[in-house]
Amino acid sequence: MGGQAAGPQPSGAETIQKLCDRVASSTLLEDRRDAVRALKSLSKKYRMEVGTQAMEHLINILQTDRSDSEILGYALDTLYNLICNDEEEEQDESEDAVTPIPASGKHKNVSMPDEAMQKQSDDLGAQFTEQFIQDPEHITLILSLLEEFDFHVRWPGVKLLTALLKNQGVQVQGIILVSPMGVSRLMDLLADSREVIRNDGLLLLQQLTKSNAAIQKIVAFESAFERLLDIITEEGSSDGGIVVEDCLLLLLNLLKNNSSNQNFFKEGSYIQRMKPWFEVGDDNSGWSAQKVTNLHLMLQLVRVMVSPVNSPGASASCQKSMYQCGLLQQLCTILMATGVPADILTETINTVSEVIRGSQVNQDYFASVNAPSNPPRPAIVVLLMSMVNERQPFVLRCAVLYCFQCFLYKNQKGQGEIVATLLPSTIDANSISAGQLLCGGLFSADSLSNWCASVALAHALQDNLTQKEQLLRVQLATSLGKPPVSLLQQCTNILSQGSKVQTRVGLLMLLCTWINNCPIAVTHFLHNQENVPFLTAQISENLGEDERLVQGLCALLLGICIFYNDNSLENYTKDKLKQLIEKRIGKENFVEKLGFITKHELYSRAAQKPQPVFLSPEQMLFDHEFTKLVKELEGVITKAVHKSSEDEKKEEDVKKTLEQHDNIVMQYKDLIREQDAQIQELKEQVATMTSQSEQMQTTVTQQLSQIQQHKDQYNIIKLKLGKDSQSQANSQADSQVNGLQTEELSQLREDLEKLRQQHTLLQTQLSDKDALINTLKSETAEGSAASDNTEMLKELDALRSRVHSQVTEIDQMKTEKQELLRKAEAVSSEAVSSSDGSLDAAKMAEVESRLAAQTSETERLKEESKSLSKSRVDLDQQLAAATSTAAILQTEKAQLQTEVQESKKEQDDLLMLLADQDQKIHSLKQKLKALGEPVDDEDDLDARDQTDDDEEDDDED
Amino acid sequence: MAYAYLFKYIIIGDTGVGKSCLLLQFTDKRFQPVHDLTIGVEFGARMITIDGKQIKLQIWDTAGQESFRSITRSYYRGAAGALLVYDITRRDTFNHLTTWLEDARQHSNSNMVIMLIGNKSDLESRREVKKEEGEAFAREHGLIFMETSAKTASNVEEAFINTAKEIYEKIQEGVFDINNEANGIKIGPQHPTTNSTLSGNQGGQQAGGGCC
Ligand SMILES: Nc1nc2c(ncn2[C@@H]2O[C@H](COP(=O)(O)OP(=O)(O)O)[C@@H](O)[C@H]2O)c(=O)[nH]1
Ligand SMILES: [Mg+2]
Repeated sequence: MGGQAAGPQPSGAETIQKLCDRVASSTLLEDRRDAVRALKSLSKKYRMEVGTQAMEHLINILQTDRSDSEILGYALDTLYNLICNDEEEEQDESEDAVTPIPASGKHKNVSMPDEAMQKQSDDLGAQFTEQFIQDPEHITLILSLLEEFDFHVRWPGVKLLTALLKNQGVQVQGIILVSPMGVSRLMDLLADSREVIRNDGLLLLQQLTKSNAAIQKIVAFESAFERLLDIITEEGSSDGGIVVEDCLLLLLNLLKNNSSNQNFFKEGSYIQRMKPWFEVGDDNSGWSAQKVTNLHLMLQLVRVMVSPVNSPGASASCQKSMYQCGLLQQLCTILMATGVPADILTETINTVSEVIRGSQVNQDYFASVNAPSNPPRPAIVVLLMSMVNERQPFVLRCAVLYCFQCFLYKNQKGQGEIVATLLPSTIDANSISAGQLLCGGLFSADSLSNWCASVALAHALQDNLTQKEQLLRVQLATSLGKPPVSLLQQCTNILSQGSKVQTRVGLLMLLCTWINNCPIAVTHFLHNQENVPFLTAQISENLGEDERLVQGLCALLLGICIFYNDNSLENYTKDKLKQLIEKRIGKENFVEKLGFITKHELYSRAAQKPQPVFLSPEQMLFDHEFTKLVKELEGVITKAVHKSSEDEKKEEDVKKTLEQHDNIVMQYKDLIREQDAQIQELKEQVATMTSQSEQMQTTVTQQLSQIQQHKDQYNIIKLKLGKDSQSQANSQADSQVNGLQTEELSQLREDLEKLRQQHTLLQTQLSDKDALINTLKSETAEGSAASDNTEMLKELDALRSRVHSQVTEIDQMKTEKQELLRKAEAVSSEAVSSSDGSLDAAKMAEVESRLAAQTSETERLKEESKSLSKSRVDLDQQLAAATSTAAILQTEKAQLQTEVQESKKEQDDLLMLLADQDQKIHSLKQKLKALGEPVDDEDDLDARDQTDDDEEDDDED
Repeated sequence: MAYAYLFKYIIIGDTGVGKSCLLLQFTDKRFQPVHDLTIGVEFGARMITIDGKQIKLQIWDTAGQESFRSITRSYYRGAAGALLVYDITRRDTFNHLTTWLEDARQHSNSNMVIMLIGNKSDLESRREVKKEEGEAFAREHGLIFMETSAKTASNVEEAFINTAKEIYEKIQEGVFDINNEANGIKIGPQHPTTNSTLSGNQGGQQAGGGCC
């Protein structure tokens, strides 16, 4: 460095101060630009100085020199250098070399160890970041600069923001989140045609989305899935480079632990787009490191969607579409392919595990997958072979165990099929079966195989009483000439031979799972005279640290023997076993030993998630499902052991009361059900009656109008008859009148004819009605379960008889009318004969007398007509009565309805009562539970009635 | 699964008016009396049919609280439809409509279809906002209006579907730029957008070539 001009060299700080002054005060853009460029070139070597002195000026430039992209670019680059902590790319400093000689003291300390240097650098980055984001407006400023299309601005802007996010993620995220369209603008970077910006945009989004669900959702909303999947495809999927990796990392950020985004991903049919990722040919010529990384991330993405920690419903629907689009099938192809790197194979097994876990369709498919060997073997068998093979990598064996567990999870059918391969009747001697492999593993010399096989077999029994009992039938041939021994027996034999802890732990977990909740298996276990003494010896002894877990498991096994004991073996009844514990071990001691299980350091780790993950093979001790079992049993067994027989009697009593209560509840329930049926019946009756009374009303209305018609016609007749007698009186003086009379009479005749027709009509209608009423009556008689109906029936009867009398009256009227008609005819014939005959005296006299008779007849007719109209009035009244009866019927109906309502209310009260009762029983059950008695929580009827009630009560909100 | 169009919706409005319940009723056909408070934004989706065409609705249910307002704003720009919800039993939620509407209009694209929803119509006895008032507000601001009940499902289907119909009509009228995904509309994968080239090749030489 000696080649420089003589004289005192300006120190870095001085140079920087000068440059800052120029940036701040120069009016010439070019001058300012040069100064900023100079600052940039110093910003790495004199990071500290430039940062402390120039930051404010640089920010000022960003705000004021918006029109010059070059100066903006330099300023952003400088800020980036100050804030960024990674020493990656060396900037092209040669071109803008304004390097002053560093002041001696400030020379880079070469002897400083790398780590310490990095630490110092981190501190600086954090300090400058803090300084920069003190004003949130500065972040908004960068965001607005990113809208500048110019490469010189956008690119350093992206990098600066990324660096800021790296250093102070949470704060910067917060500022971006609340700045309008902040996140959306950053999403636009993915659409930039310049790859550098798009790729650095990916890195920016990675930082932006880190552990911030709100931002993750906005990014997804802005079509991130679509864009990222497109980029991945464009870049060659798993064969693509680091860009694919970056896309996958961003996808992982967006989906991990974000159920809303997972749902969006699934609903957007993006699962289908993952399938081609796994179409890796069987040739597998190249498995570059990048490809392995890419595939690893791809598999992880699949797992994120079906992780056991997701809500069961969400996972289930993803599992379904993974099967439907062929993704699962594709994964199984990789599983069975050759030449797949071990870690990809392991991760594929883990992925398949979670894709099939608890999904019957997928599990069934998995069971049907065959390895392309000759002869073809089921994939399950091939995998199990690896599990019990010592030479396979530990993580692979764990993955296979996980896969097997997931295959059997909630899969009674699969459990049955596995156990069946061990049963004498179904053993196929010609091929290796899952059962054979498991037995082989159970009794091999490799403790890891022992453990894995034990746990695998335990999963075939999980929550499956049938298979627990079936497995008791399994007999094993030992050495030649010796009788076969049962699988249960063989397990206990090995247990007592004092093998490795891992082996014994595995076998004890298997035994606990097996006999748990299965009294027959308990009896089988106790039947072996050596078992109980062995267990008590194990528990009571004072053994070392290593044996504590085994002791705890022995206590658990003995506890299960007490708890699920049906007292069928005289020597080993509940009481006897308890006494044994008291005498040989001591209650407190027993409980303490039992507690060793959950107190074990590895227990809680296994309890967290279903996948068996162990830091080392020696740590392989607990199975996830088994930790659930322990949780379920520890308290119960502790209580059962502590309980005296007196307590137990008390409990029995409580149980009895409980049963009684149950009975009462049942009775109430029956009662309510009955009442419900009655109400239903009544409701139906009311409905029929309503419609009947409606029908009746219409009939009555029809009748009324007909009667009105008749009345009118009668009035006409009456009127005409009056005219008739008048004209007849006139004809005495003038026979010419007779001609007129004839006309009138024919009119009358016509009218009468009409009347007659109407009467016939009326009669048919009346008889119809009669029939209707009859049916009504019979129907009502049928439906009259309730006493109220008899009332109604009576009314109907009355109505019917009234209608009857109406009919007779109408009949009477009809005959009277007929007579009237006849007489009128007679009158007319007389008139006719008189009109054309010669008028001799005798005839005159005769006519006169006839006329007189006629007149009197007419008089009589008048009278009759009068009485007829009177009867019509009566009829009217009766009809009115009928109408009011209908009204009464309606009131009756309304009453009935209120009664139904009341009945319903009564039922509600009863329901309340029932709820109280339930509550009481519940608390009793709780008490029982507290006492450690197993209480059946799921009363199906209870649950169903409860929800019914809820639905009814919903109106109150 | 294939759809002709995909529409993005957002649901906005004060907290507690029943936005999440409306979404749940629409997507799952069920009502949850005790619903969790929405934190930020939740996603839901369903397929509907309009004019014989399958339309996929992607719906973002937002949190109503003031503190989430800025997050909610990020969703306006990319949405084709918005359901603006108030509670007919709480007048304050009706009074806040203007603020919501201003916010929506300011941050959304101008064609966004807004449906005003008066929810909880099943609680007639506790009604504080008359139906006529809702109608008047909607008329005044050019919105579609409906009263719904997320509890009884009354009008819930209609609210979502009528909004889609309105968007669909706007597409038919050429108002929406369907090629700009930022408008919250996407054309389905099998939609014949490039019909022109196909019909141009009626000679058939390329017919066997099979397009992607
Ligand atoms: N009665 C009734 N209650 C409703 C209705 N919709 C929502 N609720 C209730 O109103 C409360 C708030 O609903 P929620 O959907 O969480 O409101 P959000 O904050 O707008 O998402 C909940 O207790 C719901 O049960 C409705 O239509 N009728
Ligand atoms: Mg909500």
